Amino acid sequence: MFDGYQSDGLFDEMFDDRGLPRPHYAAATERLERLGPVSFERRRQMADVSFRNQGITFTVYSDQRGVEKIFPFDLIPRIIPEAEWRMIERGLVQRITAINLFCKDVYHAQRILREGVIPSDLVLGAKMFRREMIGVDPPHDIYAHICGTDLIRDERGKYLVLEDNCRTPSGVSYVLENRAVMKRVFPALFAAYRVRSIEDYPYHLLQTLKHVAPRHAPDPTVVVLTPGVHNSAYFEHSFLARQMGVALVEGRDLVVEDNFVYMRTTAGPRRVDVIYRRLDDDFLDPLAFRPDSALGVAGLMNCCRLGNVSLVNAVGAGIADDKAIYPYVPAMIRFYLRQEPILDNVPTYICARGDDRRYVLEHLHELVVKCTNEAGGYGMLMGHQSTDAERAIFADKIRHDPRNFIAQPIVQLSQHPSYVADGPRGPAFEGRRIDLRPYILYGRKIVVMPGGLTRVALRRGSLVVNSSQGGGSKDTWVLEEDGLPDPVAHDIPDAPGERPSPDRTSPGQPSPERIPAERTPMYRTAPSRTPAQPTSPGRTPEARS
Amino acid sequence: MNRPIHDAVAAPSGESGARARPMLSREAEAVYWMARYVERAETVARMLLVDSTLLVDVGDLAPALRERQWHAIHHIMRVPEPPPDDQPLGQRVTRGMALDPLNPNSLVSCVTRARENARAVRESISAEMWENVNTLHWSLLDGAGERFNESPDELFRRTMSDCLLFQGLTDQTLAHDQRWLFAQLGKFLERADLTCRILQVKSDIIRDAETTTELALRNLLWMATLRTCCAIEGFRRANAGEIDGQRVASFLILQADFPRSIRFSLHHAHAAIRGIRAETNPGAADPAERILGRLDAMLEYAEPTHVLLDGIGDLLHLILATTADAAVALHKAYYLR
Repeated sequence: MFDGYQSDGLFDEMFDDRGLPRPHYAAATERLERLGPVSFERRRQMADVSFRNQGITFTVYSDQRGVEKIFPFDLIPRIIPEAEWRMIERGLVQRITAINLFCKDVYHAQRILREGVIPSDLVLGAKMFRREMIGVDPPHDIYAHICGTDLIRDERGKYLVLEDNCRTPSGVSYVLENRAVMKRVFPALFAAYRVRSIEDYPYHLLQTLKHVAPRHAPDPTVVVLTPGVHNSAYFEHSFLARQMGVALVEGRDLVVEDNFVYMRTTAGPRRVDVIYRRLDDDFLDPLAFRPDSALGVAGLMNCCRLGNVSLVNAVGAGIADDKAIYPYVPAMIRFYLRQEPILDNVPTYICARGDDRRYVLEHLHELVVKCTNEAGGYGMLMGHQSTDAERAIFADKIRHDPRNFIAQPIVQLSQHPSYVADGPRGPAFEGRRIDLRPYILYGRKIVVMPGGLTRVALRRGSLVVNSSQGGGSKDTWVLEEDGLPDPVAHDIPDAPGERPSPDRTSPGQPSPERIPAERTPMYRTAPSRTPAQPTSPGRTPEARS
Repeated sequence: MNRPIHDAVAAPSGESGARARPMLSREAEAVYWMARYVERAETVARMLLVDSTLLVDVGDLAPALRERQWHAIHHIMRVPEPPPDDQPLGQRVTRGMALDPLNPNSLVSCVTRARENARAVRESISAEMWENVNTLHWSLLDGAGERFNESPDELFRRTMSDCLLFQGLTDQTLAHDQRWLFAQLGKFLERADLTCRILQVKSDIIRDAETTTELALRNLLWMATLRTCCAIEGFRRANAGEIDGQRVASFLILQADFPRSIRFSLHHAHAAIRGIRAETNPGAADPAERILGRLDAMLEYAEPTHVLLDGIGDLLHLILATTADAAVALHKAYYLR
C-alpha cells in the first residue's frame, strides 16, 4: 500500500530521503505493508465503531444543533525514538519552568520588564494580563500547572515550538483513548515495540491538583469544572473526572459563601478545595470578569485571591501564551534560568514593533499572520493563499491595532504516512502533515507525558491539523531505551489466521535495523513534484478548547 | 488562618482517609431520569410489540374497539393522538410511537433522553452502562426506519432486551450506593406509574366493551394487558388459569412478589428513598420518604376484596396522585438543594 508514496521534498517521519524506512519504523512499515488493504480497512472500522460506542466524540457546531463527531483516527502510529524524545522532554521542562517564573515575576516584582528584556506595554497591555492577580500568591508559585506545547518539524526534521498553551489545553483524553484502541486493533505490533506507557497521566494530573490545594485542606476535594455537555471538549472533561475519580461540576453546581466554594450535593453543601477549570478566565466569575457569563460562579475570584480555593491553571497564566509574548520565551529562559533554549521558536515578527511591522506589511503574501489572542485558527491570514483584497483588509487591521498581530514565515510541517481509503488508485498510504502536542504537568515535580497528541491534516496537501477543519489524530509511540522490536517478536500475527510468511520465521534473520538496507526502497523519491500533490505551506494551529 | 464557617457535610474524614465522593444534586437528578427513561423505553417497546401481535391476531374486533385499543398507547403515555394520514391506523400509531422524534415518549425520544442524561453523568455511572445506552441510541438513530420496515417486532424485542441489559448492568456494575439508589428510585417510580396507567386505560376499554364482546375476546384483551406488563406467566401460576378483570387487577396492583406489580414497585421505591436519606441525611424521614412509606404500607396491608370492591379506578387514581406528590417532594429535597 506504499506504492506511489511520495515525500515531495518534505521531511518524512517514516522514510529517509532515499525512500527507505528509518530504523525505528522498519518493523511497523513491514507489518503494515504485509497487512493489505482489506485487513487494514477492517481494523479501521473496528476502531471507528469502538470510538463511537464509547462516545469518544467532540461536538461540531455547524448549525443550531451541535453534532457529535468522532475525532478521525489514523491507525498508523507515529514513532519517536528514545534519544529524540529525551531532547524534547528536556526542552519542555525548561520551557514550563521559565514560563512559570515569568508569570510569578509579572504579577509581582516585574523584574523582566524593569530590566527591559520584554517591553512593559506588551505585557501590561495584553488582554490575558490579569490585574486581579497582582500580589496574589498561588500555592507553590505555580501558574501554568498543565501545559500543552505544540511542536512542529521543519524541512530538515528539526523540532520547533509553534505555541505554548497555558490556559486550558485540550486533547489529552484522545491520546489515552487512541492508545487504548491501538492496543486492541494492533496488539502484536504494539507488543513488538517497547512503547513508554502513558496510562498514568490521570494519576499524575490528580497529584498535581492535590499538590496545590490550600493549606487548610490536607485531604482536598478536587473537582473538574466544565462549561457543560454542549462544550466541544465535554467528553474530555468527563473522561478526566472519571479517570481521577472526582466530581465533574458545572458552574450551577457551585456556590460561594463567606469566600469559600461549595458544591451542591444530595447531602447539602460540600466544600471544594481545588478546581481544575476547563473554562477561560473570562467566564469564571461574573463579578470579576465578564458579567454576562453564567458558566462560572459569582465570587469565585475572591475565594481564589484569599487562598481559599485553588484554580488550575491559575488565573492570568494566559499571559504566557499571548502570541506576542511567545517570541520572548527564549529570552525568559536566558533571563531566569541562565540557560540556552533547548527547543527553538518559529521566527516571529511582532507587529507592535515598527521594523517588524514594516517588514510584515511588505511581505504579507509569504507570511502567516495571526491574532495574538485568538485560538483555534481564528483570525488568521495565510499570506500565500490569500487574495489581494484579503491582504488589504489585514494590512488595515495591522496598521489600526498592531499589538493584536504577529506574523511568521510559512513553516513546512513534517509528513507521515496516513491511510487514505479513497485514494486515486484505491486504498493506500499517503503522506499527510502532522504536528505534536505533548502535555506537561507542573506539580511537586514536572512530568512530561511520553508522547502526546499527534494531529494530522487529513486533507491532501493541507497544513491545517485542526479537528474542526478535517484534522485527525494518531497514536504517538515514544520508545523505551532499546525499544525496537527484535526480529522474532514482530512476526507474531495480529489476528488469528494471519500466519507470518515462512521466510520471515526462519532463524538467522537480519536484525530489523538492517532490514531496510537490504530491501528496495518502499517508494521512489524522484518524481517529487506531481500535480496531485500541491505543496501549500502555512498552517493553522488549534489552540485550546 | 481562614476557616470555613461551616464545613457543611461534616464528612467522616480522617477515619480511613478515603471519603465516599458526594453526589451532586444535578447528578442525582440525571441518574434518576436516566433510569426512568430506560424503564419507559422498555415498556413502550413491549406495548408496541404486544399490540401489534394482538391486533393482527384478533381480526374480528369491532372497528370502534379496535381503534380504542390502538389509541390506548397514546393515553397511557399521555401523548396526543397523531392526526390521521393515509397510513393504516396500526402502522401510523406504531411508527409514531417508535420513531417520531417529536413525540416526547416515542421509543427514540425515550432512549435519546436516557442517553443524554447518562452522558451528563458519565463519570458517575459505569463504562458498561454508558456503552450500552450509547450503542442503543446510535442503533436507533442509524437505520431504525429500515429495521422498522423490515421487522418491527425485531426492533422492539431488541430494544427491550437492551433496556433490560442496561438495568442488569446497573445492578451488577455500579456500587449500590446512592447513585444506584437514585436509579432504583427512578426505575420503580416509573414502573409503578406505567403499570397504573396501563391498568387504568385498558380496564376502561374492556369494561366499556363488556356488553358487546364475547367472554373469550374479553379474556384475550385481559391477557394482552398482562403481557404488556410482562405478567402473563406469573399471573397463570398464581391463579391456576382462571382469568377475569378482578384477578388481573388484583395481581397487577397487589401481588407482593411480582416485580412489575404496583405494590412491588412502590415497596422498592420506598426502600430506595429510605437508603438515600440514610446516606445523605441520617435523621428524620423526609417528605418524599413519608409519602412513599404511607403508600407502601397501605398497599401492603390492604384487604384485596375490599380494595377491589371499592373500585380499582379510585385506587389507581390515588396511587398516581401520591406518586406524583412523592416525585415533587423528591425534587425539592434532593435536586434543588
